[in-house]
Amino acid sequence: MTPNGAVLFAAVAILGAMVSGGRGLAAGYAVAALFALTQIAPRTGACLRRAAIVMAPLAAFMLIIWVGVVGKSPQEIASNAEGTRSAALFYVATVAARLFLIVFVLQAVLLRFDHDTPFAFVRALRVPAGAKRMMILTLSLIETLRNAVDRAYTALVAAGIVTRGLSLKNLRTGWILVQTVWLTAITTVTARMRDKWPVEDTLALLDPALDGGERRLSPPDWLWLGLAVAALALGQYLVWAHG
Amino acid sequence: MAKEFIAGPNFSGRSEALLTRLRGGAQGEQRAFFIGPYAEAALSGLSSSVADEIALYRARPPRARDVFSRLDPVAAGARKPQSLSGGEQVLLALHCFSLSMHDTLGIDTALEQLDAVNRAAAIDYLSSGAFDALLIDNHAAPSGWRQTVRPPSPSPAFVIDWAALNATVVPRAAPVIDIRRLNFTYRHGPTIFRDAAAQLVPGRAYRLFGANGAGKTTLLKILVGALAPAASEIALDGKPYAPWRGGGAPIAIATQNPDQQWCGATLEEDLERRRGALPAGVAIPDIPKLAAFARALGVSGLDQHLYELPLAARKRVSWLWPLAGVHPWLVLDEPTVGQDAATRENLAALLARLCAAGHGIVFVTHDENFARLLPHAVLRVENGGISSL
Amino acid sequence: MFTTQRLIVIALCAALNFSIGSIVYLVKLPLYFDSVGTILCALLLAADRRAAFVCCLVCAVTSTLMTGLLVNPFLPWFVATDLTICLVSAFLTTHAAETFRARPPRPAAFAGSVLRYGIITGVCAAIVSAPVVVYLFGGVTGSGSAFVVAFFLKTGQQLMSAALLSGLTADPIDKTLQVLIAALLFRATPTDFVTMVRAPART
Repeated sequence: MTPNGAVLFAAVAILGAMVSGGRGLAAGYAVAALFALTQIAPRTGACLRRAAIVMAPLAAFMLIIWVGVVGKSPQEIASNAEGTRSAALFYVATVAARLFLIVFVLQAVLLRFDHDTPFAFVRALRVPAGAKRMMILTLSLIETLRNAVDRAYTALVAAGIVTRGLSLKNLRTGWILVQTVWLTAITTVTARMRDKWPVEDTLALLDPALDGGERRLSPPDWLWLGLAVAALALGQYLVWAHG
Repeated sequence: MAKEFIAGPNFSGRSEALLTRLRGGAQGEQRAFFIGPYAEAALSGLSSSVADEIALYRARPPRARDVFSRLDPVAAGARKPQSLSGGEQVLLALHCFSLSMHDTLGIDTALEQLDAVNRAAAIDYLSSGAFDALLIDNHAAPSGWRQTVRPPSPSPAFVIDWAALNATVVPRAAPVIDIRRLNFTYRHGPTIFRDAAAQLVPGRAYRLFGANGAGKTTLLKILVGALAPAASEIALDGKPYAPWRGGGAPIAIATQNPDQQWCGATLEEDLERRRGALPAGVAIPDIPKLAAFARALGVSGLDQHLYELPLAARKRVSWLWPLAGVHPWLVLDEPTVGQDAATRENLAALLARLCAAGHGIVFVTHDENFARLLPHAVLRVENGGISSL
Repeated sequence: MFTTQRLIVIALCAALNFSIGSIVYLVKLPLYFDSVGTILCALLLAADRRAAFVCCLVCAVTSTLMTGLLVNPFLPWFVATDLTICLVSAFLTTHAAETFRARPPRPAAFAGSVLRYGIITGVCAAIVSAPVVVYLFGGVTGSGSAFVVAFFLKTGQQLMSAALLSGLTADPIDKTLQVLIAALLFRATPTDFVTMVRAPART
């Protein structure tokens, strides 16, 4: 499967999840499960775990709000009905199931390609060269900032500017950590643009490294795309037929 | 092949001379590769994995040239270049150069981040390689290289008044840091310390040794309160010490990359915020005193925008808070990177005076010349423990 | 349009949007602040509003996609909100660029600009976000504003109007704080860097 195919598959599967009602999600889940079992088989458990970690707090929140506080579903509110907590629970379950499917598909696609280096993944995408350059630059700077955050945090804790736990002090001065990280990154980037890049013509090395790797959709790509489209269509049919 | 060593003190124009030479080749005739002195200056800034960094520079078709391989590219392949230590980044850059189409290599003090063994290997590679090399370094020139000596600037900038700094040293009673039992494991990560123990006695300097990932930085983070250990017991003059619960730490840090420690955009902002954050019971230094320190370190005004200073000057200003004696313990991470020999010697002498006056110092360095100048004990961090040598 | 300098600014600001999440996590603040880089991008390029909008938008889309893929898969759905923030930042907030960098500082003007443009940004963002909150999340996004939604629902409001009212309560505060941080970062940015990124594109 190619990155382009995976991106298209994810887009169609997610679109299917968005437009499907409760029953319609079943087809989407079936295709997502098949994808996971065939494409990332030994790590399906990890994918489920990651999706659960993302969804669990949100699902808990939804339960508290809709079932605990509001006590009825939006449809009952709209029709001015008395409403029941079980209707609210069904509503939460539908929304949570939709969101979980979206997260699961994304995680599965990421895991499918997580052995690729960023260059290899971006190189294979059929997107304009400028978009590739932007993705690569941003990924590199994310790592620069991440490293700066870690070091700056230690220094600012040592200086007493921020605290390790939640505190009023952090509310007042936490932004200083953002400033330190920002200015560190600017200094690094400015020096690179002034010295290293002009000397080496480094940016000119990037395009050859990213070009020429675009891959057409492969037969597995078409198969998965077809399955995703079929799931979307079946989902819509189920919604139409059963409401 | 031309091998040139550019010598001279800080602010004599060495770096600009090097860059001018590197830029000077006619278009298409030579391509230069630059490894600079500042944070991540060895890296392209275009990759987020070591494998990609190598792929970016690799010549196609490959060149028939010796490959410099002190960093295992296969083992390091999935790591992010930005998370490598400074020395590892330099080794990666040298590896990339050796695979690239570039014909000339310019290095501005970056070799100072290497330990003795890797430094010797790098010098050997530079000396014998079939390429032109230009090197700025604050240690002795490699033998056989042509030397260009930059004279000191006629109107020197950022001159340090060592006499004034030495005159500020006053007796100080630093507490004993007694690490009786230290346990720490990163969440979803390795165990760094397992019942480790050590004692840091004031009036001494300690050099922290350890391989990358052994726990040097983790230890420092725990001592300043940025990380909370588990099942541990640390005492400060016999009293329980747990800075991760708040209350501050009697430690002033100068980070390896000076930019990562500033609390403000200007020196004035930085110092005001530090003064305002001092815990109760710590004497707050007054602004005139801090301004005097800044002048002694070569900065004329507190309204100086920190990030507009040259790197060597920023490095010196990063010593201000530790040297101001606000806290009895000083932690200095690679304090002499990019500093000339005279600065290195004077800094070592000043730190020795601070120790004699009762301060405690912990430092990390690959600069053996500096380490030789500052009497110290060695703390080795490895295999979950801390041992004194 | 896309000089090297502008590409760097876009990537830097996008990376800042991404990384602020980890900073907020370290200092344990219950805030999101995922648009500070977007607003800052506009301020840095304030001299050319059209360029500011385009670069701002590329920054927002890039960071939203990266964050969506790697951290928060729900963020990309708010791309219309990103567009709105870019429009407001590039064509309105940039009017305050000089005020934000004035030396000596003008506290009253600074605060007034932050409030004005923060509230405008927040109101516009709330209006555009409400449909996404309703149709994708069913009204609850996992932030404290969900309790505000519950309050309005209990008072008899329909879901869409409850989500909108909740957004209008929380977003102006959130976006004002983000404009404040972006303004402070803009103020602290070295003049050399601002001059470099504002250098006109060579034709």
